[in-house]
Amino acid sequence: MTQQGPPKWGRKVSRRDFLKLMAAAGTIVTFIPFIDWGKFLPNPTGKVSAKAKVELPDGSQANVKTFPVNHSESVIYPKTNDPVLNKESFRLWQFIRLPTELGGNANDVSAFRMYSMVCLHLWCLWKYWPDPGRKRGECPCHGSMYDPLTGKAFAGPASLQSPPSNVLPRLDLEIDTDGNVWILPPNWSPNGNGVVGFGRFLGGASQV
Amino acid sequence: MSATVQDENGLVAFFRWVYAGIDRTIFMGLKFTFPGRFVSPLGFLGMLTFVVFIILGITGALLMLWYEPELDRAWDSVQNINNTIPFGFHIRNIHYHASNAMVMLALLHLYYQYFSGRYKIRNEIIWVTGVIIGVLTILEAFTGYDIIFSERAELAISIAASLTNSIPILGPQMRDAFFGGGFHDFVLRFYAFHVFFLPIALLGLMVVHFPRFLVFDVPMVMAITGAIMITGGVFPVDLGTKFVPTSPPGITVPEWYLTGLYAFLRTQYDKFITGVAWPGLLIFTLMIMPFIDRYRKFSWKDRPLVTAIGITSIAQIMVTTYWGFYIDPNIQKSLLERLVIDPIFFYSVMLLLVPLSFGFTYMMITLAKNSEASAKLQPKKPAAKSSINIPVNWIYVVFVALLAFQIYLNIAAYYAVLNGMKNFSLFIVGIIMLVFAGMFHIYRHGKAMAKAPPPPPPAKPIGPPAGAKPLPTAPRSGPATPPTTPAKPLSPPPTQKSTSASATQTSTGPASSAVPGSSPTDRSE
Repeated sequence: MTQQGPPKWGRKVSRRDFLKLMAAAGTIVTFIPFIDWGKFLPNPTGKVSAKAKVELPDGSQANVKTFPVNHSESVIYPKTNDPVLNKESFRLWQFIRLPTELGGNANDVSAFRMYSMVCLHLWCLWKYWPDPGRKRGECPCHGSMYDPLTGKAFAGPASLQSPPSNVLPRLDLEIDTDGNVWILPPNWSPNGNGVVGFGRFLGGASQV
Repeated sequence: MSATVQDENGLVAFFRWVYAGIDRTIFMGLKFTFPGRFVSPLGFLGMLTFVVFIILGITGALLMLWYEPELDRAWDSVQNINNTIPFGFHIRNIHYHASNAMVMLALLHLYYQYFSGRYKIRNEIIWVTGVIIGVLTILEAFTGYDIIFSERAELAISIAASLTNSIPILGPQMRDAFFGGGFHDFVLRFYAFHVFFLPIALLGLMVVHFPRFLVFDVPMVMAITGAIMITGGVFPVDLGTKFVPTSPPGITVPEWYLTGLYAFLRTQYDKFITGVAWPGLLIFTLMIMPFIDRYRKFSWKDRPLVTAIGITSIAQIMVTTYWGFYIDPNIQKSLLERLVIDPIFFYSVMLLLVPLSFGFTYMMITLAKNSEASAKLQPKKPAAKSSINIPVNWIYVVFVALLAFQIYLNIAAYYAVLNGMKNFSLFIVGIIMLVFAGMFHIYRHGKAMAKAPPPPPPAKPIGPPAGAKPLPTAPRSGPATPPTTPAKPLSPPPTQKSTSASATQTSTGPASSAVPGSSPTDRSE
């Protein structure tokens, strides 16, 4: 064996090399369980795997029969038992029933929208203005405006940001036989329901 | 303490014993030099940065006693520190201005090492760790002003989070993992980063970064401390406005060391490219510079390309930093027009700076070489030494006068606190620090004079260390020497005085390497 090369098949592995291999494998196996411990880092309250009620500020669940057309409420989602956390901007959502001209009269899920209230520009809280001539989401801070139909910013600084930072995160809704509105488990990614404070790609996978 | 009976000076013996015990520790690997006369601070900017880091650690630890990293209490607790807690204003201002000073000193340190060529040839590890330390320093300062949770802090947090989100594929997960799920998590975690993760990483890296030769110049350290306090007194840092997500904030810009990055973001280009890729490229380029710089020589004059790259970077940093600050004052225009920077204009200016900087470098090098050549034609003058030549008696007079001045200042600072003039008292305390720096300088000057033989010897190889250029034979005399004895070696004072001296020092390699154990690269930090 004058030439050094890769060990050929069938060549005997020396005892020393074998030991080294075992030690390396043992080290890796020892530390493998800690990979999963990385789940310590993200906040688990953001993960919701079940349907949640659209709980209006008065404590009742939003219902398609009672919720007025061209109207909005802010909803806490995911709701916790901690009042400080519930005040958090990142948990505030605008629950909108669209105006008539945008299909708000429909008695199904297409009449409703639910967008994160955190403005994509600098994280102020925008809200929906139902006044005639407005009928749009407006941010009080720098005047970003959002289309209630899609959640896309059409004016102001947020509209200039490159995608996905120009479309609001959106929650998917469902209406049961009693007319109660439910929030489906979200997929927090720019291609899914979006990332609060960052945005969403329009036409992502989970959009209705 | 009833320790030793036969030794009447038991305390001194104890200190000697402690000092001898340090022999077994890692500190003996470091060579501390306390300069015996004025030395240009350019050579030990790193040590000054470290001292400011320690100041930040002390003031920061004190602030931790009152600060509350909670979403709805953070700003109020800072307000409490600033307005209610006695001397909270002082501590907070020192902490804030020291953070700026640390970033500034680190930058100066970086560029001095770069232009003087000390960063290469066996100093690569020190350089690379230094660049990482610099980045962490900026992150440390950044997380610090974020946790006040003022409007400016909120701007910074939102930028940090959206930049992390913009990282391809794993961005949102990384944001979730490191920053958490909302404002509450952000404040708490930035606090954790600020007070533990980043400082501990900084300390660990500093262990690697420290060279074995360190200069601790008491007057300069005190002067820097005083300057920080005086800046705090003259420009006390404001609280900013508490961030309320439903009310329009005033126009804020980030801290000065991040406005350059902010200018890129204001072009509204893709966040990842402008906010992550560009700065990453800058940091990466900085890191590999010593490996690119293949010049055999050290002086900036002999490394035209490297010098030109350095000048270009300075020019671009200055222009982008200013541009990030600049917001069109014309309030007739919409906010958007005022805030958004035209990317084509912006990037073409940055490109234009490259040939300008190269031309400027070429001009400087030509001028320097010309003046060097003309200096050689003239008869050699003895190096102009701007030492203070006051008679010994007058040193005592000056000393007493300074002491009296300090007493007066102490009283003034006390009354200023009583009258609620917080920034004035901080200012006065800064002056006290400066006076102390002057006093220490006079002290070591007087000490050197006392030790100097009456007739100035021309060049004695083995003389008292007070002379200008004796060899430092004493450092090897053993660790048992207590640091306060006059026999403690004083480093051979580097003769550089002005900014051009950096070049002369490095270019006159043989001259300075005649002094054993102190080649130009040794005396850094």
